[in-house]
Amino acid sequence: MTDSSPILQVCNVTKDFGGVRAVDRCTLDVMPGTITGLIGPNGAGKTTLFNLAAGDLSPTSGQILFDGMVISGLQPHQTFSRGLMRTFQIPRELRRMTVLENLMLVPARQSGERLWSTWLTPWKVARQERQIQARALDVLELVNLSHLANELAGNLSGGQKKLLELARTLMAKPKMVLLDEPGAGINRTLLRDLSANIVRASVERNVTFLIIEHDMRFVMTMCDPVIVMANGSVISEGTPSAIQRDPQVLEAYLGGRISGPA
Amino acid sequence: MDISGVIDYLIGFTIMAIIYAIFALGLNVHWGFTGLFNIGIAGFFALGAYTAALLTSPPPDPDQFEDFIFGGDLANQGLLDLGVDAWFFLGLAAAAVVCGLVALIVGTITLRLNDDYLSIATLGIAESVRFFFLNEKWAANGSKGLYRIPKFLGDVVAPENYDYLYVVVALVILLILFAAVQRAVRSPWGRVLRAIREDEVATAASGKNVFHFKLQSFVFGAMIMGIGGALFAHHVRFLSPLTFDPLLATFVIWAMLMVGGSGNNLGAVLGAFVVWGVWAGTQFLPGVFSDPSFRLLMIGVLIVAIMLLRPGGLLGEWRRIVASRPASAAARDSTDPG
Ligand SMILES: Nc1ncnc2c1ncn2[C@@H]1O[C@H](COP(=O)(O)OP(=O)(O)OP(=O)(O)O)[C@@H](O)[C@H]1O
Ligand SMILES: [Mg+2]
Repeated sequence: MTDSSPILQVCNVTKDFGGVRAVDRCTLDVMPGTITGLIGPNGAGKTTLFNLAAGDLSPTSGQILFDGMVISGLQPHQTFSRGLMRTFQIPRELRRMTVLENLMLVPARQSGERLWSTWLTPWKVARQERQIQARALDVLELVNLSHLANELAGNLSGGQKKLLELARTLMAKPKMVLLDEPGAGINRTLLRDLSANIVRASVERNVTFLIIEHDMRFVMTMCDPVIVMANGSVISEGTPSAIQRDPQVLEAYLGGRISGPA
Repeated sequence: MDISGVIDYLIGFTIMAIIYAIFALGLNVHWGFTGLFNIGIAGFFALGAYTAALLTSPPPDPDQFEDFIFGGDLANQGLLDLGVDAWFFLGLAAAAVVCGLVALIVGTITLRLNDDYLSIATLGIAESVRFFFLNEKWAANGSKGLYRIPKFLGDVVAPENYDYLYVVVALVILLILFAAVQRAVRSPWGRVLRAIREDEVATAASGKNVFHFKLQSFVFGAMIMGIGGALFAHHVRFLSPLTFDPLLATFVIWAMLMVGGSGNNLGAVLGAFVVWGVWAGTQFLPGVFSDPSFRLLMIGVLIVAIMLLRPGGLLGEWRRIVASRPASAAARDSTDPG
């Protein structure tokens, strides 16, 4: 946390979809070790920014740096291997696979992912599988999905699918995680567990978080700093309390009041 | 037909069903586990068959085939004096390698693109292979085909007993391939393939190089199909480009996988036997009902019936069930089925 250079740098990034400019000369930094919030009205370009950082899209112009290296234009599996993981706003669970398999997929460099290893060194593959399975069961316990380990992921409820998205990020050892509305559709009690998991990962494993969230109570208690986007660019940035007082932010939310922490 | 005639017929039937089961396994790797829409199985079928045949066939008799130029026969021209029986196995391997290489090239070009490109490319492979062997007479005698493809251990076994040997050979190869595919798809490798089948974007977000795994799946499945083609060549012992029409070399194999259960290797094998049973059985129907078009229609009816009654096929997809944690998990949730 003593590190003073940003872990994620978005430099003057623009993304056009045909005539729609989803991200507009956006510039922002995320410092390592922080739990940074990213808020803004619907259609502000938050998810698009995640897609650009993770490699699901490449920018029309501008650059994104992670850990000091340019990552814009890389493939998603390449940003993953550099230590950047993301979740999806609309969960993308692997429907016809079990919840446990959804998690066991994640760890990198599994020996059983090499075709010949499955034939030539099956014992090694089996040993690693047992370890990965044990880890997946641990993670399921963390997100309270243990009882659904053998359920097909497609059968989960909306909130359970969001928890599975978060669980995925706990299966790897990323340096930074981009969470797209982790709390949407999740009840209050679980949301507290979820916050606790995020804080624990942040403190114990020094994972940096950038979190998109519409639930202001969640953002204001969890995140510092908070970045506000509107119309594709950053309009404000600061501590939760500073953000709440910023007239530009209030206006971006069409005069809507941002409620503070309960 | 006396009883030994019936047995001979059943042996012949079983050999063909086994060969088709191998194709169904290959298609299961492509479609059942990875979601690769290969609609040109006939291409790999023909490539495998011709590769094996050309490596093992004696030169065609010039008196018998006027426009013969080249008949294959690397074996008997002393290129490598191993005899036909060793060449049988080399032929199988070569068939797998040739199909694998073609899949590697075509897959490298198309698998990064939209899914539709692969389908069109597989269709293209099938038609190109057919036209190649039809038009390039020097390669394999054109439309007149390759005759007298040698039997494996043909010098050792009496002709009337040959099928009894061959059914065992085919069965052993099927079992080896079955075990290899089963091991592969039930390991992390297969888990990545199934993830790709479900959602490529999510799989990439879990750190997997989707393109590489798709390519591996495409090549592996194609190699299995090549071996199926080679076994076919040594069974029917006559190949012409017309052998590999899309109905019997692609459609029927799709039917087998759909009926047996996509994503289930045992289902693929079962489906091959059931659908080939329908195809072979209906030839004994009287009159117009034994017409090939009616027999294909019966397969179509079977597919529709399965899709309505058991959409996942006779054997649905296998699912790994893991025992839940004894103490903590079970105590918290007593309804846990684990
Ligand atoms: N693939 C796409 N094609 C065309 N337009 C897109 C695409 N993705 C996003 N957009 C547009 O870009 C703009 C920003 O969308 P984005 O999803 O990034 O917003 P957001 O800030 O995540 O909103 P929300 O809070 O509702 O999730 C929207 O106008 C959207 O319609
Ligand atoms: Mg969004």
